[in-house]
Amino acid sequence: MTTKINSLQSALKFLFGIYLIFSVNLLYAESDQETAMQVPVNQLHDALINIMKTADSSSFEERYALMENIITKTFNTALISRVVLSRYWKSLDEKTKNDFIALFDRLTISTYVNRFDSYDDESFKFLSVEPMKKERFLVKTELTQKNDDPVSFNYIVQNNNGEWKIISVIANGINDLSLKRAEYSSVIKDQGFSALIENMKQKISDLQPK
Amino acid sequence: MTGSHLFSLSKHLILICILSVATGCATTQTPDSTAGNSDDIESANRVFFNVNETLDKHLMKPIAETYVDMTPKVVRTSVTNFFDNLKYLNVIFNDFLQGKFTQGVNDSLRFLFNSTLGIGGIFDVASNDMNLAKNEEDFGQTLATWGFDEGSYLYIPLMGPNTVRDVTDQVPSTFLNPFFYVTSTVLFPISALDVINKRANLLEASNLRDEAAIDPYAFTREAFLQQRDYLIYDGNPPVAGYDDIFTEAEEESGGVLVIE
Repeated sequence: MTTKINSLQSALKFLFGIYLIFSVNLLYAESDQETAMQVPVNQLHDALINIMKTADSSSFEERYALMENIITKTFNTALISRVVLSRYWKSLDEKTKNDFIALFDRLTISTYVNRFDSYDDESFKFLSVEPMKKERFLVKTELTQKNDDPVSFNYIVQNNNGEWKIISVIANGINDLSLKRAEYSSVIKDQGFSALIENMKQKISDLQPK
Repeated sequence: MTGSHLFSLSKHLILICILSVATGCATTQTPDSTAGNSDDIESANRVFFNVNETLDKHLMKPIAETYVDMTPKVVRTSVTNFFDNLKYLNVIFNDFLQGKFTQGVNDSLRFLFNSTLGIGGIFDVASNDMNLAKNEEDFGQTLATWGFDEGSYLYIPLMGPNTVRDVTDQVPSTFLNPFFYVTSTVLFPISALDVINKRANLLEASNLRDEAAIDPYAFTREAFLQQRDYLIYDGNPPVAGYDDIFTEAEEESGGVLVIE
């Protein structure tokens, strides 16, 4: 009887050991994935702090070049463009699609460089990660400011060919992707696709330093 | 209750009834084909939006900008604190209606301390010294937590963006504002100051919108409705809501949404 109990205990210990190894591995895998999906967000944040700090000592073009490098690396603009143009995307030929993606990138970069133009001890803080559908995740962060309430900056990220990329930015609950999607479809419906392109070009021009 | 109060109340109720009837009829129309939140009475909303924008551009915005130029920030903060405090009974009322009892007690203390130690609400001592943060609650949020849909989006002349559900807040917020029970000519300049100060507080946001928006009407509608969701869920809306635009695109492209 004692032998039976001993063997049962040994078996349980063995199973528990295996369980531990698996769960630790799973934990590592999960935390590895969480770290990986934060990479584009951290790269974007570092670049933003950088252009804010150097706003007075560098030119718009220099900061644009820095952000261009980061935005093209961290955002999946092709997918963003597809979502933003909703049903109109399918009606475009390859060249028009590529031109739109490039234009959308220019607008995003110009907006960031224009808006993050001064530094007053702001910093970004990581908060948490929440899973969404189809391998998408929401990375939650906030921008803390010295003399104002923190601003919530959440990012939807998705793995694309082994690389995590940002597909939407949500600032204080306002989702840039759905905002643009509604706006763009309204402009296309009322004025046509070429009017949207002209409007976007005009916005880019307005965002350049005077 | 004086005759002017009754008039003010009936004005709000009539407005709500008219809007409910108007939007009730409008919902039978075919929804438009644009992406984004539904907008059953878009053509009427756009007319009111344009009227407001014109009025704002030529009157309200210049007055608000002059006010900002002429008053130090500390004064404007005190003005904001004063009017926010007057409207805070409505926040407390809705805390309790939503079952947020701890928040309701904290907000009651906040109102008490700011009204007394904060000299009629001019100083926000509750936030600064007592760690009693300001909350944003209203009757529209209460109805949302009780399960009411937002109904049609409305753009109301002089008031701005709203929804059928959220406009009902006009009733409790009017009744619970202590000014409603005061009859004096001094209320006119004070109410004007409230309006100007409110517009001044929105200058940064409206400038940002003008800078970013390609269609300011659609931008305002989407930003407003998303901001409402954010408030209803106290800054933590369910992530499932963010999936919707991808799901739509996935359905359109046969279930796959990966672009190299």
